[in-house]
Amino acid sequence: MRVATDVGGTFTDLVYMTDEGQIGFEKSSTTPPNFEQGVLDVLEKSQIAYGDIETFIHGTTVIINALTERKGVKTGLITTKGFRDVLEIGRGNRPDLFNVRYQKPKPIIPRSLRREVSARLNYKGEVLQRLKKNELEAIIKDFREAQVEAVAVVFLHSYKNPDHEKEAADLIKQLWPEISVTASHEIVQEWREYERTNTTAMNSFIKPIAASYVDKLDKSLSQRGVKGQKYIMQSNGGTAPFSLAKDAPINMVESGPVAGVFGAAMLGSILSEENIIAFDVGGTTAKCSLIEQGNVKVSTDYYIEKTEKWAGYPLKVPVVDIVEIGNGGGSIAWLETSGSIRVGPHSAGAVPGPVAYGSGGTEPTITDANLVTGRLSPNNFEHPVDMVKVQDVIREKIAEPFGVTVEEAALGIIRVANSNMLNALKLISVRKGYDPRDFTMVAFGGGGPLHSSFLAGELGIRKVIIPAASAVFSAWGMLMTDLRQDTIQTYIQRFDTADPGRLNKEWSILEKQAMDRYKEDGLNEQKVVFARYADIRYIGQEHAVKVPVPGGIWETDTLNLINESFHDLHEKTYTFRLQDTGIEFVGLHLTAFGRVNRPPLKQLDSSNKKAAEAGCTRDVFFEERGWLETKVYKRSELNPDMRMDGPAIIEDRMSSVLVYPNQHLKVDLYGNLIIFIGGGLGA
Amino acid sequence: MLEKQPDAFTLEIVKDSLVSISEEMFHTLGKTSMSPIIYEVLDYATGITDPQGYLLTQGNGVAGFIGMVSSMVQETVKKYGCSLLPGDIVIINDPYNGGGSHLSDVGLVAPIFFDGELVGFSASKAHWTEVGGKDSGSFTNDSTDIYQEGLQFPCIKLFNEGVINQALLEMIQANVRFPDLSVSDMWAQVASLRIGEKRFQEVCVKYGKQTVQETSKYILNQGEKVSKKVVQSLPNGEYFAEDFIDTDGIGHGPFKVRVKVTISDDRFVCDFRGSHPQVPGPVNCSYTTLVSDVRTVFLAITNEDHHINDGVFRPLEIITDPGSIFSCERPAPMSIYWESGSMGGDLVWKALASVLPEKLGAGHFLSVCSVTLSGKHPDTLEPFLIVEPSVGGWGASNNEDGTRGQFCIGDGETYNMPVEIAEARYGILVDEYSLHTDGAGAGEFIGGAGVVRSYQALTDGQSLSVSFGRHDHVPWGLSGGHNGSGNHFFIEKQNGETDGPYGVYARYPLNKGDKVKLITGTGGGYGSPHDRDIGLVIEDVKNGYITIRQAEDIYGVLLDDHLNLKGLARQS
Repeated sequence: MRVATDVGGTFTDLVYMTDEGQIGFEKSSTTPPNFEQGVLDVLEKSQIAYGDIETFIHGTTVIINALTERKGVKTGLITTKGFRDVLEIGRGNRPDLFNVRYQKPKPIIPRSLRREVSARLNYKGEVLQRLKKNELEAIIKDFREAQVEAVAVVFLHSYKNPDHEKEAADLIKQLWPEISVTASHEIVQEWREYERTNTTAMNSFIKPIAASYVDKLDKSLSQRGVKGQKYIMQSNGGTAPFSLAKDAPINMVESGPVAGVFGAAMLGSILSEENIIAFDVGGTTAKCSLIEQGNVKVSTDYYIEKTEKWAGYPLKVPVVDIVEIGNGGGSIAWLETSGSIRVGPHSAGAVPGPVAYGSGGTEPTITDANLVTGRLSPNNFEHPVDMVKVQDVIREKIAEPFGVTVEEAALGIIRVANSNMLNALKLISVRKGYDPRDFTMVAFGGGGPLHSSFLAGELGIRKVIIPAASAVFSAWGMLMTDLRQDTIQTYIQRFDTADPGRLNKEWSILEKQAMDRYKEDGLNEQKVVFARYADIRYIGQEHAVKVPVPGGIWETDTLNLINESFHDLHEKTYTFRLQDTGIEFVGLHLTAFGRVNRPPLKQLDSSNKKAAEAGCTRDVFFEERGWLETKVYKRSELNPDMRMDGPAIIEDRMSSVLVYPNQHLKVDLYGNLIIFIGGGLGA
Repeated sequence: MLEKQPDAFTLEIVKDSLVSISEEMFHTLGKTSMSPIIYEVLDYATGITDPQGYLLTQGNGVAGFIGMVSSMVQETVKKYGCSLLPGDIVIINDPYNGGGSHLSDVGLVAPIFFDGELVGFSASKAHWTEVGGKDSGSFTNDSTDIYQEGLQFPCIKLFNEGVINQALLEMIQANVRFPDLSVSDMWAQVASLRIGEKRFQEVCVKYGKQTVQETSKYILNQGEKVSKKVVQSLPNGEYFAEDFIDTDGIGHGPFKVRVKVTISDDRFVCDFRGSHPQVPGPVNCSYTTLVSDVRTVFLAITNEDHHINDGVFRPLEIITDPGSIFSCERPAPMSIYWESGSMGGDLVWKALASVLPEKLGAGHFLSVCSVTLSGKHPDTLEPFLIVEPSVGGWGASNNEDGTRGQFCIGDGETYNMPVEIAEARYGILVDEYSLHTDGAGAGEFIGGAGVVRSYQALTDGQSLSVSFGRHDHVPWGLSGGHNGSGNHFFIEKQNGETDGPYGVYARYPLNKGDKVKLITGTGGGYGSPHDRDIGLVIEDVKNGYITIRQAEDIYGVLLDDHLNLKGLARQS
């Protein structure tokens, strides 16, 4: 049996799959600060026999929480002489252009704990100055006195030659065996010293926290008799064994959210849909990601806490490309000084939450607007909803300033929120040269099913899939993942002088590294599958295009082929090509999958040919058309092959699916809901 | 065809669509450019205007371009009127007429048509690495007229109905030092304009032309309304400031400049009359530049939401003498125009800082602090060219220390060049990139430190040009805070000699092993150093931001070698 648990803000979800392909799920409360307790609770509640668990997969927010709450350990940095302030200077940018009191991100390590040693390479990785060990010894002595708990080692050009970093890390471990050490090349093999330093510093900062969490969970599971393999979900959309999660916890920052994207890709492949737009609307944010021909896109251009007006902290680790905006069910609608209406990014959160929760919320949220327009039912909330109060708040804060009715104001909030979400969806599709009409949307999270049918219509998407497991979709995604390692090696090489032999050597080094790591974890060599990408650009350009490139041995012809794909991809993305301009490699990106055995998903019993019956009808306020009588179905009463026409609502306690007039819905053989946009039920 | 009057929410949604067009144009340009000055420094802007050339939305990387998109579109409208056709693109960099800053910043303007009617313009302005002229990198420290500074594009057609003007293109290629770079930047701008045009037309299709036009009016009127509301809330009165621009780069100076800011109920008037006349060296700026820099400070005071369009600036009036250093006339040189332009903005800031402490802190290092270094790469033997601004120290404010190591007000979403990339790409070794903690800018809240960035030449025959303003006239302190320190650089030669300090210097020769230490200033402090929290003073010493000696002499905090408090010597 495979079991996945996903620790979210409010709930810890569990999804399991039996050897027969049967899926089941369970939910339990998240239990901060001892998050492992929630995991044990939900396991207990699910009544799974611990001994049956062959594979245990875990997604956690512990890492990102420790980072954003700055609850790491006292960390010291050792870096190249002349460069201890790199972490504080950063990139010097001030995104809040017209604010002359901007404060940039504070370095995670204060200046007194940032120390320098003589050790210097040039950009080719040649040694200009050997590592002076006596300097290092003096620093370690100081760090001991200062009660430092973790050390980060970052030297210039270590992506080209890691020897000095290895030497320093070995010496530190020798002098101070109990200290936690991270050397930058272990985490990042790309250039850009600020980004690499910050990533390494943050990994060090949380490493002891992550190790203690993973150990506690491991121990508790073992005590209960779980003997199977244990994995943690990483930000690259694949899993890694517990041991790796302890060394490089920084790879787990987006542990939960990416699993949903990966789940969307897997669901697509099960349903023979190769091109997917994953769309996830939660309580505070909406996230989307584009999957082309089954490939989840991964890059290292990731930041935490970055906003339009704040630089945030860069983490050069492989993360699934997700665009996230501050628009979720709890996002607040508010008026700027100018009188313009905005929705989000401020959120009412879980407490006090929307006005509808009755827990003291006084600002109108998207959820409140969905209630007033009849898209959500007050009967599906945990506590009784005071609809008069919800309407009063929307009247006072939005309707009156604009001189419109309450329902028009509520619809206005939804339209503005949809416009924000639409911009995010365009960012990953149209703006990158993709035609959304070639894609199917997979919508999940509490609000995804509610907003997706409208947004799909706007984008020209023809089909929306609401997964059967939409309420626990991240955990479902984890269940479906393979092991995955992404290595991105900075490699600067012009095409005109590129030697296929040397490139073959580079690739084989990367493949061997990945293979060795898998072998250490006892994975069979035949289960490992490689995918290669190259980051390529026009010479002189900064931004590279990630080009899928062939595996195996490269010849000169291979380079010609890659050359052509680059020009095509560049034109697709940026509308033009410079056929006569030279191009160069900037990075080699190897993805190593460790394939796991999964039974095929079981189809539901479709012998029940009963037509769908609406439980009731209620009025829903639609764009352009106003109030329409709308049939309401209970999701739990739907069976495979049932079909229905919009306007319709399919709801359960977790969420609500909105089907517009002229749209049609059918239930597939796995219990997924398929919405056909713009007429026609399809095959 | 009559369209339904758009409701309030539709106006907002269309407005959002227009904002996202400028952003998409901005990203397209940045992603496709081949010049570090564009993709790292983000020295470019994109925008959408209405058919009259009033800015509706702008995508910005730097603050300094706010005001320059509309000036070049308006110049285009003035020159071509109704004769523009779909597919036309105009190229303009003439600083005296709509171009604004200096010749390196090249503007492209494309009319947008829908249903045969002119509905707006998409435009962009970007710093090309090369536009010819007497020095490599084009902008220079010691030009004496505009003709030495490069090619001038006086608002002429680069495209006629979608067809490129081949003769003009070849002229550009023949007159610039790195034609591949310049031409690729041109294509990046064209791609950006085409995207803007396409998206604008899509919005017209979706919402109707009339709704888009209504939205344009709505945007401008709303901008005006917000600004007026804030201006009304400011204390009425006349505020004054004076300062000096160090030098013109060719031996003259300093030059006295002044402002009188008059705030009334609905006007915000900045009067620079009486400032120094235009000067022989290239530190002059055009009136358009002055407008941009004053607008930046005006926005810092009035606009928290950052919806920026021409309506916002309706209450703002800027007066100066024609032919002054702030409004020079042909053929005055203006290659390093920011030295005067930024000073213009800084004067307004300084005049108002003590009455608006919650918005404005003490003075900062101010200058773009540009560095141009050319030479040969030791391995490829190909020529390289560094063109980069520098980070420096910002002033403290009424409740926070100043920021350390950050680009100046005229820059913005500007990124420094990573050392590892610089060393691979250029013929230099970076010896140091660290904070320059000189103890200046003392106060209850301390000014942020500048930085030291040292380059060691790896080949003979390199040439360095540096334009560091605020070398002699340093960042000002506020409310009893100490002044900051000046920007400067030294040369440490291979033979052990040192030379400097200098502020502005053209073409300093560097040979293999010579080092240049580029040092930017500390920002001004706020409040008396004796009011600084004692715990913070101890932390400052521990972190090496100040010395034990400075803690005692300046802050009145006496510490022993283990940083234990020995006593206080403070005036209460």
